[in-house]
Amino acid sequence: MNEHAIVVSAFIVAWLSASLRLAGPVLLAALGETFAERSGILNVGIEGTILLGALASFLGSYRTGMIWTSLFLATLTGVVANFFLAWMYVSVRASQVVTGLVFNIFALGLATTVYRLVLSKSAAPESIAVFEPLRVPVISRIPLLGPVIFGQTAPFYLTLLLAVVAQFVLYRTHLGLALRATGENPAAADAAGISVHRMRYLGTLLSGAGAGMAGGYLVLAQVGLFRETIVAGQGFIALAIVIFGRWNPLKAALAALVFGACDALQLSLQIFGNRIPPQLLLALPYIVTILAISGLFGKAVPPAALMKPYVKD
Amino acid sequence: MAKLFERRLIPADSSGAVASTTALGLLAAMAVTAIFFRYYGASPIEAYFGLFHEPFGTLRGFGYSLVRAAPLALVALGTIVSWRSGFYYLGFEGCFLVGAAAAGWLALSTAPGTRLGPLPLALFLPLAILFSLTAGGLWAGLVAFLRVRLGGNEVLISLMSNYVARFFLQYLVSGPLRAPGSLPETLLLPRGTWLPFILPGTRAHAGILIAVAAALFVWALLEKLPLGYELVVTGFNPAAARYAGIEVDRRMLFAGFFAGGLGALAGMVEVIGSQHRLMDGISGSMGFVGIIVALLSRLNPLAVVPVALVYGGMSVGADAMQRRASIPSSITFILESLAVLLVVASDFLRFYKPNFSALRLFKLRPSGREDSA
Repeated sequence: MNEHAIVVSAFIVAWLSASLRLAGPVLLAALGETFAERSGILNVGIEGTILLGALASFLGSYRTGMIWTSLFLATLTGVVANFFLAWMYVSVRASQVVTGLVFNIFALGLATTVYRLVLSKSAAPESIAVFEPLRVPVISRIPLLGPVIFGQTAPFYLTLLLAVVAQFVLYRTHLGLALRATGENPAAADAAGISVHRMRYLGTLLSGAGAGMAGGYLVLAQVGLFRETIVAGQGFIALAIVIFGRWNPLKAALAALVFGACDALQLSLQIFGNRIPPQLLLALPYIVTILAISGLFGKAVPPAALMKPYVKD
Repeated sequence: MAKLFERRLIPADSSGAVASTTALGLLAAMAVTAIFFRYYGASPIEAYFGLFHEPFGTLRGFGYSLVRAAPLALVALGTIVSWRSGFYYLGFEGCFLVGAAAAGWLALSTAPGTRLGPLPLALFLPLAILFSLTAGGLWAGLVAFLRVRLGGNEVLISLMSNYVARFFLQYLVSGPLRAPGSLPETLLLPRGTWLPFILPGTRAHAGILIAVAAALFVWALLEKLPLGYELVVTGFNPAAARYAGIEVDRRMLFAGFFAGGLGALAGMVEVIGSQHRLMDGISGSMGFVGIIVALLSRLNPLAVVPVALVYGGMSVGADAMQRRASIPSSITFILESLAVLLVVASDFLRFYKPNFSALRLFKLRPSGREDSA
């Protein structure tokens, strides 16, 4: 192989494996959000939920050193936080956009304050326990594909598994049918004996679980520390992925991959040196998102009762 | 077991009920925030006194409160114009940056020895207002266009556009407009382009006057002018508006343009009134806190300036507390957002009434009010 080919293949391996790595957390958050939106709830609060999950897993790993426990702690935090959101959305019937958006600011304040409070007595830790890439024996040494697909961290494979499970639950079970019915026509679902309130609470709590776990994923398998800017709009990107994936878990996985690829392109191009301003590349994922949801590529039809509070007569 | 909350047959919507639930929401927010003050070893009463004494008990602090209030009020007015027209725009952080960039660039090009050369303030200020208003208007108008023509979701598009604007400003201050030195920021803007200071002995500048004028203008537009009436009808019920002969698409485009322009004026006021140079992170989440100000004003333009003053004052008080008692100023984010969330949540009490007898462990007498639902 000549030198040029080696550089190109190194570039492609770096790019693709970073694509998969970066797609993970947003996909996880998008899977949860799919359930919320299918039940009729637009949960904008996942951005803040990811941040709370990130903080919980960071503190968990810092204090206990147990990564799986920390990931679970992040998920649990997401569920608990979203219980409040579910109450606001479903029982109070507050505006979903307003509630979610303001909750994000609340989460920012809470996470920053708690982080400073916990670390005020001691200096910020140099490093915490994190997930290492698995490197499946033998097959991870297949050229190109090996390190890309079989060299990821455990949460990545868990996320893929959850995407398949989500698809199955949503389209092949009674629960999924009831959830989708609630988002399309709550009055009819109600008449059929489905509790609209219960389905919407469930959808919101699942999106909390997904977003909380995504925060844990971010800290425990990607960044390895906590900053209040760590989420940087990934929750909003997850919302876009749900639309881009047409409210379908497996299509959302594809969409997440496209976004991961954009994000990773920016990293790879920076590593390999070029004259494009880094800010343009950093803005690329957001520009792609805007184009994807602008309606330029066909019309995305959301669940009919999305954002509509349900009042039982 | 009896239910803890029973649905009211008719929601309580007397002004007394609204006022008391709102007050309850605010008190609950202050109570929750007090827990955090306790964690930092501060007595909540002293902490709240500190939070409001600096901005409203000292002249210097009051001047800073006016400085913080001006951009918040302008963003809130933009929120009111767009939301009441049914255009749920959330991109004010981006508009702020675009407006700041436009005003900053214009100010820098009037420095001595550059293309335009020095301009008198009476000429520069209208030019800067026009320039940043147009820039922000086009920025938000583009989102309105995508919504109107292609059916894109403005909530998400505008949230994404904030990040694009942030990277654009980062590029400007680290590339073409960068001043020599280690920090990515521009040169100090020429003295002649600064907004005049209005209170001797403070940093208060004319931005607050711009905000007050804008509030009166938005009030007159929405409450008194036919155009504003059409905007509000468009937001209330687009189908009915269309049936009544209102050009709904055009009204929404106008709402987007004007709201974006107001958001951009916030950025202009901040850069030529307070910071006097462009830098990364100049917006400091004001594009979002301004939306909260609009919500707490219940989308009433006349309430915006007082509410913005309270919120601006709280951030001044929080900074002072962080300096003196090293309580992180992020606590105000908790207070500010909880105030909105819990005021919204307090509506719950207008639909449901608490049934305290359900809390009792032993029934004193048979309730007989259990329902099967």
